Amino acid sequence: MHALAETLTALAAKDDIFQDGARVISQGGVPNPMAAFLKAVDETMLERKLTFVTGKATINVIAAGRRLRGIAAASPAAGDISHLAGKTIAREEPDLIDDAYALLSETIGNASRLAVHSLPPDPFGKGGERGVSAAGLAALWKIDMHEAPLAPMERFLRTNSDGINALLHLTAGNVNTTQGDVSALQDVWDNQVTAFIEAQNKLPDQDDGPQLICLDGALEDGSAAAIAIAGDDVALLVYAPDHLGTLHSTWQSIFA
Amino acid sequence: MVVDELDALKNTQDACKTIAFADLSTRMILVTDTASNLPREALDALCGQAALALGTKGKVALGEQPCQTALVANKSSVRVFLRAPDEPNDVLCCVCTPNVDVDSFVTSASECLNRISNGNS
Repeated sequence: MHALAETLTALAAKDDIFQDGARVISQGGVPNPMAAFLKAVDETMLERKLTFVTGKATINVIAAGRRLRGIAAASPAAGDISHLAGKTIAREEPDLIDDAYALLSETIGNASRLAVHSLPPDPFGKGGERGVSAAGLAALWKIDMHEAPLAPMERFLRTNSDGINALLHLTAGNVNTTQGDVSALQDVWDNQVTAFIEAQNKLPDQDDGPQLICLDGALEDGSAAAIAIAGDDVALLVYAPDHLGTLHSTWQSIFA
Repeated sequence: MVVDELDALKNTQDACKTIAFADLSTRMILVTDTASNLPREALDALCGQAALALGTKGKVALGEQPCQTALVANKSSVRVFLRAPDEPNDVLCCVCTPNVDVDSFVTSASECLNRISNGNS
């Protein structure tokens, strides 16, 4: 009962983002799309058809009572799913659960954006077949449905990981994360950042909130470098020049 | 006319609020788009930010060498600074709203700057 009350409270409090009528439940891999999928099932009390949409694929499942009853359809189909489509999953049929996991992982596991439509259900299976609870599937599939949300800077960096070639992330002056060859970034941090921020602050009308500064061709080898500042967090990065637009749009979506 | 180029760019980019053409060697805004109503102090600050971000006279505040394109984003605006490839002191300073399509804008603004800097306008 307590879990049900928590879920209802969370649903009522949600400040959701919708796109084309679908609720966006994972953006840039945050939260993990499979965890987002299970959470959507976990939030479904009355029987519904949940249509999960990525940029490339759609998968329809039937959920009820916080349980996944089964997979109705997938498009494009990842291999032969005829043995899965329309079948109610059950703990007594572990192969079916494994195959459902494989299909879901392949279809939505790496989605950069995952959204869900909640629709009236189509007829599915037999009335007495309840499926498997979202919590049960999370345990079987070793997925943490309630992983702690990442801090904004970490979210920004993870979302852009594909376009970042080197990273030096510091929190309150202490190195938090490094990735790739950070020698040039370390030099920038050691010798330039403080003076740069001071110079910036001397300019009139400066906003002291989060900032993203991208400099195309700023490193000797022609690489693009950026600095993202949010409170105590400073991230210096070398990024692919064609990633500038994505870098900016994700920064805006997280910090603005 | 330079102002016509600036106006034309601004007219095709809804998210762009001010465009100015500047000379980094003197740190002066030379021309703005017709509708710009930024006071002189704000234009000077914009040019100062361009100099800081792009670097001037071979010196840089951040990075190892002067860069060609800089973007400075905060919650309320996105500022894009572009340097002409053949005339390093010719720069375009643009103030946009946060929802600007950066890739599209940078492409259009670069073409605009090249035309201005090459004397084709």
